[in-house]
Amino acid sequence: MSGQRVDAKVVMLGKEYVGKTSLVERYVHNRFLVGPYQNTIGAAFVAKPIHVGEKIVTLGIWDTAGSERYEAMSRIYYRGAKAAIVCYDLTDSSSFQRAKFWVKELQNCEEHCKIYLCGTKSDLVEDDRSMRKVDFHDVQDYADEIKAQLFETSSKSGHNVDELFQKVAEDYDQLYSFQQMTEEKGVDLCQKKNSTFYACCHH
Amino acid sequence: MSQKSERRGIHVDQSELLCKKGCGYYGNPAWQGFCSKCWREEYQRARQKQIQEDWALAERLQREEEAAYASSQGAQTQPTLAPFSKFEDKKTNVTTRKVTTVKKFFSPSSRAAPKKETQEAKAPSPSISRQSSVETDKVSRDFIDFLKNLQKPGRDIHKQCRVFLDTMANKKEVSAEEQSEYVQDFYQNVAEKLQVHFKGSSDRVERVMDQVEKYIMTRLYKSVFCPETTDDEKKDLAVQKRIRALHWVTLLMLCVPVNEDIPEVSDILVKAITDIIEMDSKRVPRDKLACITKCSKHIFNAIKITKKEPASADDFLPTLIYIVLKANPPRLQSNIQYITRFCNPSRLMTGEDGYYFTNLCCAVAFIEKLDAQSLNLSPEDFERYMSGQASPRRQDQDGYLSHVNNSPSLGQAYQNLEQLSGLGERQERVLEGARRLERDLIEWSDGVAREVQDILDKYPLEICPPASAIDSDNVENDRLPPPLQPQVFAG
Ligand SMILES: Nc1nc2c(ncn2[C@@H]2O[C@H](COP(=O)(O)OP(=O)(O)O)[C@@H](O)[C@H]2O)c(=O)[nH]1
Ligand SMILES: [Mg+2]
Repeated sequence: MSGQRVDAKVVMLGKEYVGKTSLVERYVHNRFLVGPYQNTIGAAFVAKPIHVGEKIVTLGIWDTAGSERYEAMSRIYYRGAKAAIVCYDLTDSSSFQRAKFWVKELQNCEEHCKIYLCGTKSDLVEDDRSMRKVDFHDVQDYADEIKAQLFETSSKSGHNVDELFQKVAEDYDQLYSFQQMTEEKGVDLCQKKNSTFYACCHH
Repeated sequence: MSQKSERRGIHVDQSELLCKKGCGYYGNPAWQGFCSKCWREEYQRARQKQIQEDWALAERLQREEEAAYASSQGAQTQPTLAPFSKFEDKKTNVTTRKVTTVKKFFSPSSRAAPKKETQEAKAPSPSISRQSSVETDKVSRDFIDFLKNLQKPGRDIHKQCRVFLDTMANKKEVSAEEQSEYVQDFYQNVAEKLQVHFKGSSDRVERVMDQVEKYIMTRLYKSVFCPETTDDEKKDLAVQKRIRALHWVTLLMLCVPVNEDIPEVSDILVKAITDIIEMDSKRVPRDKLACITKCSKHIFNAIKITKKEPASADDFLPTLIYIVLKANPPRLQSNIQYITRFCNPSRLMTGEDGYYFTNLCCAVAFIEKLDAQSLNLSPEDFERYMSGQASPRRQDQDGYLSHVNNSPSLGQAYQNLEQLSGLGERQERVLEGARRLERDLIEWSDGVAREVQDILDKYPLEICPPASAIDSDNVENDRLPPPLQPQVFAG
C-alpha cells in the first residue's frame, strides 16, 4: 500500500493558484483539468520512477497546501527535500515575489535542497505577449545568482514539463553517484541528520 | 460552613483522580489508576520478569536457530563450530550482566514499593506481562524465520541486534535524543552492511530494515516511549486539553471539502478517526505510521466521493486537521516524537508514509497555533466559543442531527452525551438535596441549643451545698487502714 520506495523527496512550493497541482497532474497523469481519472485517490503525494540512463530514480513529489492560512506550516514540508520546484505564475508578478521568499527560506533552512524555478502557464503568454508580467531575463539573472535552474512550463500544453522533472532526476542521480564515489556510502548522507528535523515542528 | 456551601456543580472527590500510590500526581485509568511514574515503578518487577522470560526464549530460539543452521549445513560442522563457541562466550557474558540488573531491581528502595501493592493493582500485572511477552515472542520468532532465509548475513544481523539490545538495556537513563541517536546509528550501520551485501538493491535493503526495526522497537518500546526524561507526557496533556477546548470547530470554519450528510462519507470519516486513534496501540514506529497512512487514505476517499474528483493537498490538510480535532488521539505528541526518534529515516523522510506523517505534524502545529483568523472568525466570536459562552453548533443543528442519523457511532456518542448531561442534572439535584439536609441539620441543632438555653434560663440550676457530707469532718481518719502497697517480689 505504502510500500513504494522513494529515492528523493521533491517539494512543490509557491503561492496559491500558480499551478503547482496542475504541474504534478500533467507530469504524472499527463492530463490537464479534465481527462480520464487514473486510479488515484489524490494528487498530494506521488511516487514517480524516472529513467536516468540505465538506472531508475524514483522521485517522491510532495504537493503542498498553498492557502495562506497554512503557509506558516510549509516549512515543515520541505524538511529533508532534495529538490524544490518553486513555482510562480508568468502572468502574476506578485507570485514571483512570493517565489523569492521561498528561495530565501530554502537557502536558510535547507542548504542541501536544490532549487528549480518554474514559471507556469507559459501558454497564456505565448498567446498574448502582453500577459507576461515576469521577464525571462530578469529571472534568469536571479537564477544564476542563486545557482538555480530555470524552466518555463505550461501544464495546459505540456510544454517543458517532462524536461523539468527529468532534470531534477538527473541532477539527483549525478549527486548520488558522486556521493557514492567519494563517501562509499550507499545511503543518503543527510538521512540521519534529517531524522531529528521533525522534532523542530513541536515546541 | 460557608466553605462547604461554596462548592458547586458536579463534585468528584479529588482523591479519586489522584494516583493510587498517593504521590500527589493525577492517576490514569490506562495505568490502573497510578500516575505514569508510579505505574512504571510498580510494574518494573513484572517487566523484569518479562525480560528474563524473553532472554530465556531468545536463548531457546538461538539454540533452535543453531540447530537449524547445523542441519542445513550438514557436513561442514567444523567451520561453524568456532563462531558458535565464541557465541557461547558472549552468552555467558550476557547472563552475568543480567544478574546484576536483576539485583539492582531488588535493592531496598524498589523492594519497599511492591510490598504495599494492593490486591487489585497486582491482578492485572501478570496478564499484561504475559500478553506483551507473547507479542515479543512472536516477533522474535518471525524475525528469526525471516533471517533464516538470508543465510549468513541473517545470522550476523541477529547477532548485531542482540548486542545492540544489550547495550540499550544499560542506556535507560540517557536522554531521548541520545537514545534516538543510538537507534538511528544502528539502523545506518545495519543498512550500510546490507547495502554492500545486496550490492545496492535498495528495495531488498529496505525490506530487511523493516524487520530489524520491528524486532528492535518491539523490545525497546516500553523503555523509550514517552520516557520520563522528556516532557512528552506534559505536551500530550496540553494538546489533549487544547483539542477539547476546540470541540466547537466546524467543517465550514476549516473549509473542509467533505459532506458528512452523505452516509458513505460519514462512515469513512469514522474509520479515519478510528485509524488515527489506533496509532497509540502500536509498538513499532512503522506500524504507527501505517495507521496514519490508513487514516489519510480514508480521508482522500471521503474527499473524492464528496467532490467527485481526486483530492489535492489543499483539500487534504484541512480534512486531516478536522479528523484530529474529532478524534483527539491519545498521547499524540508522544507518538509523533516516538516515530520521529525511532522510525527508519528513509521511510519517514521521502516515502508516502512520510508525506502523511508530515501532514499530521502540520495539523498538530496548526491546532496549537490556531486563532480567530485561521478560522475566518472575528476575535470576539472566537473568544466566546473558546470560553464556552456561545456555541456555533446551534446554528447548524440540523446538519448535526442529520449525520447523527446516518452514523450509528456518532448517534451513540450523541446519546451518551445526552445521558451524561442528564446524569449531571440528577447529580446537581442530589447535591441540592444534600445541601438542604445540611441546612436542616444546622437549623435543628441550633434549635435544640436554643431550647436548652431557654430551659436553662427558665430553671437556672442552683447547686446548693449539701447539708452534711460523709467526710465533712474526718474525725476518724486516722483509724482507717493504710493504703495497700504493691509488694515487690524479687525473682
Ligand atoms: N492556462 C493555464 N492555466 C493553468 C496552468 N496551470 C494551472 N492553470 C490554472 O491555474 C489555476 C490554479 O492551478 P492549481 O494547479 O490548482 O494551482 P495551485 O494552487 O498552485 O495548486 C487552475 O485554474 C488551473 O487550471 C497552465 O499551465 N496554463
Ligand atoms: Mg494545489
